[in-house]
Amino acid sequence: MTNKRLHVDALVVGGGIAGMQTSLDLGDQGYQVALVEKTASIGGNMVQLSKVFPTLDCASCITTPKMSSVHHHDNIKLLTSSEVQKVTPHGDGFIAEVLLKPTYVNNDTCTGCQKCEEACPVDILDEYDYGFNARRAAYIPFPTAIPYTAVIDMDHCIFCGQCIKACPVPDCIDFNMQPEVIEIETSAIVISTGFKVTPYDAKEEYGAGKFRNVIDGLMMERLLAPTGPYGHVLRPSDGKLPDSIAYVQCAGSRDLTLGVPYCSRVCCMYAIKQAMLLAGALPMADITIYYMDIRTFGKQYEQFYQNAKAMGIEFVKAKVARITEVENQDLNVRVELIDENSQVVERHHDLVVLSVGMLPNYDPQAVFSIDIAEDKFVETPYYHNSPAATTRPGIFAAGTAAGPMDIVDTIVTAGSAAADVAAYIQSHNGHKAETAVETQTTVAERSVDHD
Amino acid sequence: MKTDKEKVKSKILILATLSGGYLGADSAGQGNKEYAPNVYIFSVMTAAIFPPEFYIRALEKSVDAIIVMYSGSDCPYKGAAEHTAKMISQAYEMMKERGMDQRRLRLSAICTVCVDPFLEEVAQANELLDEIGPIERPVPAVTEAESVTA
Amino acid sequence: MTEPNEENKEKDVKNNSEEPITVHVDELKDAVEKEIADAGGEDIKIGVYVCQCGGNISDVVRTDLVAKELEKFPNVVVSRDFIFMCSDSGQELIKKDIQEKGINRVVVGSCSPFLHETTFRKAVSSGGLNPYLYTHVGIREQDSWVHADHPKEATELAVHLMEAGVAKARLLEPLKPTEIKAKKHALVIGGGIAGLQAALSIAKADLKVTIVEKSHFLGGRVAQWDTVFPTDEDARAVLNRVIEEVLANPNITIHTGTELIAAKGYIGEFNIRLRQQPRGVSEDFDGLDEAIKVCPVEVPDEFNFGLSKRKAIYRPYDGCVPSGAVIDWEHCTKCGECLKVGKKGSINLDETPHEFDITVGAVVVATGFDPYEPFKGEFGYGEIPEVITLPQLERILSKDGPTKGKLEVNGHPVHNIAMIHCVGSRQKEGVHKPQPDGKVNDYCSRVCCTATLSAAKQIHEHFPDTNIFDLYQDIRTYGRGHEDYYINASKNGVTFLRYFAEEIPEVTKSPEGEKNPVMVKVKDHLTWGYEVEVPVDLVVLAVGMMPTPIQDLIGMLKVSQGNDRFLLEVHPKLRPVETAIAGIVLAGTAQGPMTIREASYAGQAAASKVIAMLITGQVELEPFVAKIDPERCEGSGECVKYCPQEEAIRLETFTEDGRTFQRAVVSPANCNGCGVCVSVCPNRAINIQGWTLDQFDAMVEALAMEVSVLEDA
Ligand SMILES: Cc1cc2nc3c(=O)[nH]c(=O)nc-3n(C[C@H](O)[C@H](O)[C@H](O)COP(=O)(O)OP(=O)(O)OC[C@H]3O[C@@H](n4cnc5c(N)ncnc54)[C@H](O)[C@@H]3O)c2cc1C
Ligand SMILES: Cc1cc2nc3c(=O)[nH]c(=O)nc-3n(C[C@H](O)[C@H](O)[C@H](O)COP(=O)(O)OP(=O)(O)OC[C@H]3O[C@@H](n4cnc5c(N)ncnc54)[C@H](O)[C@@H]3O)c2cc1C
Repeated sequence: MTNKRLHVDALVVGGGIAGMQTSLDLGDQGYQVALVEKTASIGGNMVQLSKVFPTLDCASCITTPKMSSVHHHDNIKLLTSSEVQKVTPHGDGFIAEVLLKPTYVNNDTCTGCQKCEEACPVDILDEYDYGFNARRAAYIPFPTAIPYTAVIDMDHCIFCGQCIKACPVPDCIDFNMQPEVIEIETSAIVISTGFKVTPYDAKEEYGAGKFRNVIDGLMMERLLAPTGPYGHVLRPSDGKLPDSIAYVQCAGSRDLTLGVPYCSRVCCMYAIKQAMLLAGALPMADITIYYMDIRTFGKQYEQFYQNAKAMGIEFVKAKVARITEVENQDLNVRVELIDENSQVVERHHDLVVLSVGMLPNYDPQAVFSIDIAEDKFVETPYYHNSPAATTRPGIFAAGTAAGPMDIVDTIVTAGSAAADVAAYIQSHNGHKAETAVETQTTVAERSVDHD
Repeated sequence: MKTDKEKVKSKILILATLSGGYLGADSAGQGNKEYAPNVYIFSVMTAAIFPPEFYIRALEKSVDAIIVMYSGSDCPYKGAAEHTAKMISQAYEMMKERGMDQRRLRLSAICTVCVDPFLEEVAQANELLDEIGPIERPVPAVTEAESVTA
Repeated sequence: MTEPNEENKEKDVKNNSEEPITVHVDELKDAVEKEIADAGGEDIKIGVYVCQCGGNISDVVRTDLVAKELEKFPNVVVSRDFIFMCSDSGQELIKKDIQEKGINRVVVGSCSPFLHETTFRKAVSSGGLNPYLYTHVGIREQDSWVHADHPKEATELAVHLMEAGVAKARLLEPLKPTEIKAKKHALVIGGGIAGLQAALSIAKADLKVTIVEKSHFLGGRVAQWDTVFPTDEDARAVLNRVIEEVLANPNITIHTGTELIAAKGYIGEFNIRLRQQPRGVSEDFDGLDEAIKVCPVEVPDEFNFGLSKRKAIYRPYDGCVPSGAVIDWEHCTKCGECLKVGKKGSINLDETPHEFDITVGAVVVATGFDPYEPFKGEFGYGEIPEVITLPQLERILSKDGPTKGKLEVNGHPVHNIAMIHCVGSRQKEGVHKPQPDGKVNDYCSRVCCTATLSAAKQIHEHFPDTNIFDLYQDIRTYGRGHEDYYINASKNGVTFLRYFAEEIPEVTKSPEGEKNPVMVKVKDHLTWGYEVEVPVDLVVLAVGMMPTPIQDLIGMLKVSQGNDRFLLEVHPKLRPVETAIAGIVLAGTAQGPMTIREASYAGQAAASKVIAMLITGQVELEPFVAKIDPERCEGSGECVKYCPQEEAIRLETFTEDGRTFQRAVVSPANCNGCGVCVSVCPNRAINIQGWTLDQFDAMVEALAMEVSVLEDA
């Protein structure tokens, strides 16, 4: 058996904004980069957002160019639907075994024409739109996906063969596609595997999952996105325009009962952002934000908060104890008003958004042999001096893999990780892979101890 | 083919610098701020390139008002802002000689997030045009086919 | 150590004859000329693409009709609308049409050029065309998003704008970026944590770095703190780890006591003039303690934020780097007392500043922050001696501080402390007194909440009998490990009182004879807004950050400031460490409040950009500079007269067939494309490449046409 081997300077794991920016910064410095992304497209969480604070530019508009530059960069090799399975030391660097999962569509020949998607008879809920929308079993993940190619969801495929018939490219769809393993020989590794949000039903007393009109921040992002499912903000239960929307802050952060004592840093800002967008979309609606502390600490963020207040968005310092469903699937929110001597009242709303926090998306301990900290994000032991370094030399972390942060901070940490990688390569191997990424074929049963 | 309400549609040309007015217009766009659809925005690197004759020609040929939106004292090019202002005042002289209403040409400093000032300029230009009307041109507006071959 | 090392010696002013910048204009001309000739040979075939932007445009503008309308225009061989032009398949569409339909000019109507002009240039280029044979038309921000109520007019407007784009495209010429040599050497301004980290990362990529630090020691503000959150480490330990690495790196040269006095140039080659203040004291001087004793001049010690005094000969702090003593020239009276002690010849009171030049390819601005200085009387500051700032408290808690780590003011022990948050931050117009520039500090300083609670923790540990009252608006312990300080404070018995910005707490001197010298009155919103009176021994104002005033530098480097006076990045999201000036990047608190970790991240991120710019020794610049049409130029010299740039344009004498005449010649690397020359040329012989007057004339003409798409449909 033979395995393909890629020779690169850096392996970046996770293709969200952190991984993309790290790859671009390294690629621009002349290093060869392999970017491994688990899902079928790069972009991460950012590409799903509506508009992004504090400038309110449309998220997909500012993510798409980055995605495209990554894809077109001479020094970046992109591997989607792929995961690192094993990492072994190799000299000062590493050999990573990467599993390329079958998408049942040939990425090189697929033109993204969507004919298979049109032909597929299977309708399932679309995770990209958090189930607000349907997609097919043969589908392109989202309109700006990169690579813009179809994938077949084998969990839901009924093997009717319609897609194969519809596909204009010979042999492009292949139900027999097998997983493939390739080896990546690299000097350094960057972990940029990002975050997931607190499961929205984590706090039972908030009723999410049970009450249809209790949703979370990411779902609201999709409802607000120009490419979103309804094109309007509508209540999930009945498609009604909501009149009174409540935000529950710290729903999953600063909460010892959930084992999440930390602040997730972005929720105050995204709630305010969404509230402002909602105020624009639904001028008649009342919007209330229940918060413990408003943490608008970033550049221009405080002014953003003050603008929201001036727009009439109501900010109430309160702890939300419980949410109950009442008539019309409206909701009663039981709150302890901290500013009023912790008096407890019930407030009526017809849509509640939980400002869920951030949890790490991936545990790198087993594969990469690096530590995670008490908060379960990647441990960065040289906190002040080398913030991107992990507990293992040659492996660095960028973005929300190393703790909650917003896009600006993510991009800065990506630049920092790139600088650390460059320094590591210079001080160890001292040279760059001179040419574009080379592939070689070697015997897979290579001797185990290289170093 | 003109409907009643559509008298003769007047046109406003905005020459917006990429470091100033164009970004201001972008900000207005990002905020979905409605304004009159008779505004044609061209991006320019720098407004200092336009000699006074350029403005006269544009007014004589096709547009009824011009707003030059630059970044004023924030101009990234040393001396260009002052120069632009000078070219515009020379254009005013020429407009006077030709009996054109000088208010049809305006120079305005618009910053990258100046949404309100941007909208204000547009509104004012339209008020002005409502008052003084479009420029009467000797030749009737050319049709598509003619003009492109011209 | 302040001496440049051998390899990296920097030029002294005297023997520095300024090298003229040589750019090979002719070579450049030849290459482009050839391409132009190539392109000129063919017919102009234009491809027009109208982006639907997934409904962002097409919900208002009938992109299908726009595309159909545009098809009718001369030279347009293909005209399409498409869901997302920026997507890979959209870009593929362009490439395919270039290859299969032979189009040689491309016009895309989509979002603002700031988002995707480069994307499409690249697509055009990977399709095999010169990337400048491309015109971008904004029909989203400038049309669909602002005319949602007028779909018909919006569609017509789009047609007009696209037509103008086509008119411009007909006149486009292939362009080549200007290539300039880049010095593999960077300048870092500011030797705080951000600057040091930037320097270190750049040096590790094997580029040369010069650090210029205004003060006489490295490390910036961090050197003044005691214990840093969230690691509870000694601040100096954190700092010294970086400083040691910086000192050990042979690629780094350090100039302390030094400031920029002039700067010119552009990415790849900035010519910088520096002025270094003499130290006045040689490094091996052995009589410092004695000299300090005999010096008669006493001034407030800025290192201790005025809590103590120092002499005119001094060392900022023990263990500082460089470690030598310095003379404070502003206050030294040159009385000569210090000359009488220690090793002879070690002190020279007649030393003068030294000026020298360096040339670098890129600049990192890391000039840091100053703590907000409260006005006299603001919360009693400057009037009541028991009211101090948080930075002053840090000095008091430091073992080498004015009280040697003892918690006391005016010699009195301290048992009750009120700490007031947001002093000089989150200010409101009309409530707070503005700064001299008329503006209040309406931003959050980000660090003070955790710094305050971290100080509270130190006090709790070392002086457990102390009661702390914490007056806040919101507690913003946002960072990794920060929240613990908040949780601990509550556990440790810190009393929290919440005030609103509109009702700031009042601090007054207690009447004579009261046990506690200061009274703090606050409307506490955790208890119905009741007015609470807290008698205390010490009030600590958690002051915010303001950027170090660097007006002179801003003038020299032409970087911009935001409304909050911090230096401004080009795009807060996409390019958070770059400025609008190519080759100049930002690091650390000069850009906005940050913690040490964040300043380190920022310094390294800035380094990443610098490395990418300089590593190949070559920089490519956009070709939008002045270009002379030699056929039309008559050598009037108007352009030379009006050009505001130095050495960008000149008249040269040519001879041909025995006839001598003058023609203007442009140096592209010095021309910034400001366009002044274009409008003054009597012969229309100069244009900014890619933005010619002929193109604008054609675009304006395109507006004259009448469009009525909807009736046609
Ligand atoms: C509701 C909400 C709204 C927000 N709004 C804003 C806003 O307006 N402005 C702002 O600045 N920030 C906002 N944020 C924060 C922003 O989303 C994050 O800062 C940003 O997306 C972090 O990017 P990342 O690359 O670190 O992580 P991610 O976006 O999570 O990317 C990680 C990537 O790694 C991949 N991956 C994971 N594990 C593996 C593996 N084992 N192997 C390979 N690949 C893997 C994932 O599939 C993903 O593509 C918001 C967050 C939320 C939750
Ligand atoms: C009271 C207080 C306590 C803090 N405690 C902590 C803490 O516990 N943990 C934490 O993470 N952060 C803390 N911080 C924040 C920390 O101080 C900053 O993050 C850090 O100092 C930022 O470093 P910097 O390099 O950006 O700026 P600075 O430290 O300000 O350094 C800037 C340097 O540039 C120099 N300079 C300025 N102008 C010029 C010029 N024109 N030419 C040349 N040189 C120039 C200055 O002399 C200085 O050396 C605290 C801040 C305050 C106010």
